[in-house]
Amino acid sequence: MEMAIDRIGDVAAVAVPVDELDAGNASELKRDIAPVLQANTKVVLDLSRVRFMDSSGLGAMLSCLRQLTAKKGDLKLCGMSKQVRGAFELVRLHRIFDIYPGKAEAVLAFQSKPTGVL
Amino acid sequence: MIAANTIDARPVPACSVASLQEAIERHVRYSLGKLWRDLSPRELFVAVALACRDRMVERMLETEERYRRGDLKRLYYLSIEFLPGQYLGNNLLNLGIREQCGEALRNLGADLDEIESSEPDLALGNGGLGRLAACLLDSLATLGLPGYGYGINYEYGLFKQEIDRGYQREKPENWLGQGTPWQIARPDKACVVPIRGRIEHSVDRRGGYNPMWMDWKVLMGIPYDVPIVGFGGQTVNFLRLYSARSSHGFDMRIFNAGDYFKAVEQKIASETVSKVLYPPDAPGAGYELRLAQEYFLAACALRDIVRRFEQGHKDCRDLGAHVAIQLNDTHPALAVAELMRILIDEKNLEWDEAWAVTQATVAYTNHTLAPEALEKWPVALLEAVVPRHLQIILEINRRLLDRVSGVWPGHTGLLRRMSIIEESEPKQVRMAHLAMAGSHAINGVSRIHTEAIKTSLAPDYFELWPDRFHNVTNGISPRRWLLRANPALAALITAAIGDAWITDLPRLKALERYAEDSAFRTEFRAVKRANKEKLARIIQELHIRVDPDSLFDVHVKRIHAYKRQLLNVFHIVDEYLALIEDGRQPAAPRVYIFAGKAAPGYWFAQQVIKLIHNVGRVINTDPRAHSWIKVVFLPDYRVSLAEQIVPAADLSEQISTAGTEASGTGNMKMALNGAVTIGTLDGATIEIREAVGAENMFVFGLTAAQVRAAREPCTYRPWEHYERDPRVKRVVDVLSSNLFCSEEPALFEWVRKCVLNGNDEHFHLADFRSYADAQGKVGQSFGEADRWTRMSILNVARTGPFSSDRTVLEYARDIWGVQAPSQSIACK
Repeated sequence: MEMAIDRIGDVAAVAVPVDELDAGNASELKRDIAPVLQANTKVVLDLSRVRFMDSSGLGAMLSCLRQLTAKKGDLKLCGMSKQVRGAFELVRLHRIFDIYPGKAEAVLAFQSKPTGVL
Repeated sequence: MIAANTIDARPVPACSVASLQEAIERHVRYSLGKLWRDLSPRELFVAVALACRDRMVERMLETEERYRRGDLKRLYYLSIEFLPGQYLGNNLLNLGIREQCGEALRNLGADLDEIESSEPDLALGNGGLGRLAACLLDSLATLGLPGYGYGINYEYGLFKQEIDRGYQREKPENWLGQGTPWQIARPDKACVVPIRGRIEHSVDRRGGYNPMWMDWKVLMGIPYDVPIVGFGGQTVNFLRLYSARSSHGFDMRIFNAGDYFKAVEQKIASETVSKVLYPPDAPGAGYELRLAQEYFLAACALRDIVRRFEQGHKDCRDLGAHVAIQLNDTHPALAVAELMRILIDEKNLEWDEAWAVTQATVAYTNHTLAPEALEKWPVALLEAVVPRHLQIILEINRRLLDRVSGVWPGHTGLLRRMSIIEESEPKQVRMAHLAMAGSHAINGVSRIHTEAIKTSLAPDYFELWPDRFHNVTNGISPRRWLLRANPALAALITAAIGDAWITDLPRLKALERYAEDSAFRTEFRAVKRANKEKLARIIQELHIRVDPDSLFDVHVKRIHAYKRQLLNVFHIVDEYLALIEDGRQPAAPRVYIFAGKAAPGYWFAQQVIKLIHNVGRVINTDPRAHSWIKVVFLPDYRVSLAEQIVPAADLSEQISTAGTEASGTGNMKMALNGAVTIGTLDGATIEIREAVGAENMFVFGLTAAQVRAAREPCTYRPWEHYERDPRVKRVVDVLSSNLFCSEEPALFEWVRKCVLNGNDEHFHLADFRSYADAQGKVGQSFGEADRWTRMSILNVARTGPFSSDRTVLEYARDIWGVQAPSQSIACK
């Protein structure tokens, strides 16, 4: 999975490059994003392109968050479609992620808040 | 009595003969891609249905706009079953364009009656529960009320019944196999339904407990809308049926996955959820899938209801003011937990707020009296299928029991009785308790049934919340069951008293005086006879010739022990033996007509079908009985067949064991069509007796109170009836002999065991003599044609209270709080 990484200060903003994040590609995402999570503590995942996410996709998001919080970092999400937002709400994941409308807001949030909440 | 709204019967636009003809031809060419000469009968039906649907859709869009402008409270009727039967004739009648359509088809060289009768029944239900739902939808639309049905789009509806040497054989009824012209797919309104998985306990960003539902599978619920047109064509609501599909992503993976076949198997598994309608009396069959179906319905419906609410409103705390949800029995009871989940997990309401909204929104109709028939699901199964919902149910229960402890401290027995969780092995969730706890209104479906709920089924809940309990006696649609099913009688009535009865059934009362009008009685008899001739032609397809002047004694309904088809057989055999052994002729020649399906796997009911056939074969071929008794079993009972049988019935058999039938609606359909009832004091038959007068029906048997007393241990002694009454003894002995099963000796030995067992819960022998005596009076009365016709007319005239319009208006007033848009809004 080829992911474009945008570095803004000490924040790494990664665009998830698939329309559907589910059991078919969630492992691939976890594998390919691992170097980014290892190299950074402040990460934004831009989900603008994602139209559908199942529990495997949500599980991948949770895994990313936990890897970062384990090393006092944080993950912020942005660009969620209504449907993806619905999937987060369905299983109460929206209560443990910081979610922003756009990338700029997510990046800005890192500059105004300390990391490591979970 | 609540007055029905006056219906403004303006015709729908573009309903001239020419426009209908043009529409049919257009659909033949452009929707079906056919030349007229190449059309099959089914394709012709589809073209006519599409022309009709166009006009309904126009009104449906208008109706929705009218509701939106008025910001009207909506009613959502959740039911695991809907049993509409055929739609075309009904829709054309309700739109007021049937005559024009008939003429358009004549111009094209086709016959509307033939086309209507070729339509396959929409059989998404087993019996009364689903048919009630269909009648209520008809009334909602006729009364202009914003009410919608929500159900499952079963690929295989109720099985097709075939008879093979007297045995029922079940054949799949793939009614969707060729598609249906009535449904409009709404893929844009598909909803994602998570299922299975586990709860991961975590804390949220504020440090609060946050149970997360992880590792679920996903089902997609695709809605298909069936427009429901009310009489007069002014209002068209819809019935939204959900099909289960795998997600698009899943479909795509099949093509990319290494294990193609495994992927396809998983896709099929997820689509199985809406594959087949389950029968009600088959314990164990498809257990887990049935729970998945119930959850699928609740989840799809609630997701859609909340989505529709949010189109016009912001705050979910207001849901109860704008939305009413009616649970048709406990099958959709997970809606209580699903609504709580949505409000708490997705809309961030606090528990107490969410609970208040849920209770303000949901109401529950109970349809059963037998405690063993109440739905329960193992806790472990719920945890596997809907883990988050189980968490919510457990919390609802904890708070409920806290409340009960507060009101009645120290009553551990009471806590055990009222708990949503039954402390059995395995532990089970009592769905009726969940439904009652989560509802602001709980209703029974006849007066005696509601009293039984209060006194024996849920007395503790009644004591806790007496104001929540209501009675709403069931009803039937006069459009479907008189105007459509019996056009000749409908025309005769209209000629006598006008047509206001169609939307205001109590107006039939004006017919009472015609019972004394000999000319009217003659015409009334002629209509009945013509209906009987028609049914006789259907019966002749079974190679049984019946005389339309005989008494048509009709027992049509699901085959079940409590409905006591066996008691009817006892009487037939008693009459037959009296004729051939005692030389005692019946008071009137009689045709005993049965129809009904037995649940697959329900051994007793299947045996009763076999018994009826074997008894019929012996009697129908015995020349001594030739002109006196005929026994007929019409296969594949369904709505469209009922529409043929009911208008031809002279006698309506409503002979369930007292205290077992919640309401019944067949009793109402028959009375409305002039059949005189022979029945026990059970369900709505009690109210029918009050309405039509005890002198106009034949009541027999134990009362519900007597049945309860007889159920006390060691109280009922059937042997005494057997030894004391030679008629009882003879019937039991002969039925258990090989007279009716010479080719399969000892086949019916079960009859003796069944009725001579002190545990016979249906008291066949206790009621037999009383039943036979009542049948004797029936025969004598039928022999006096004028007297019988008077009774028959008075049954029609006094059946006004049993319109589903009255039922819906009572629900609307007492439970739903929904209203029709004001006329000024409607006419804008």
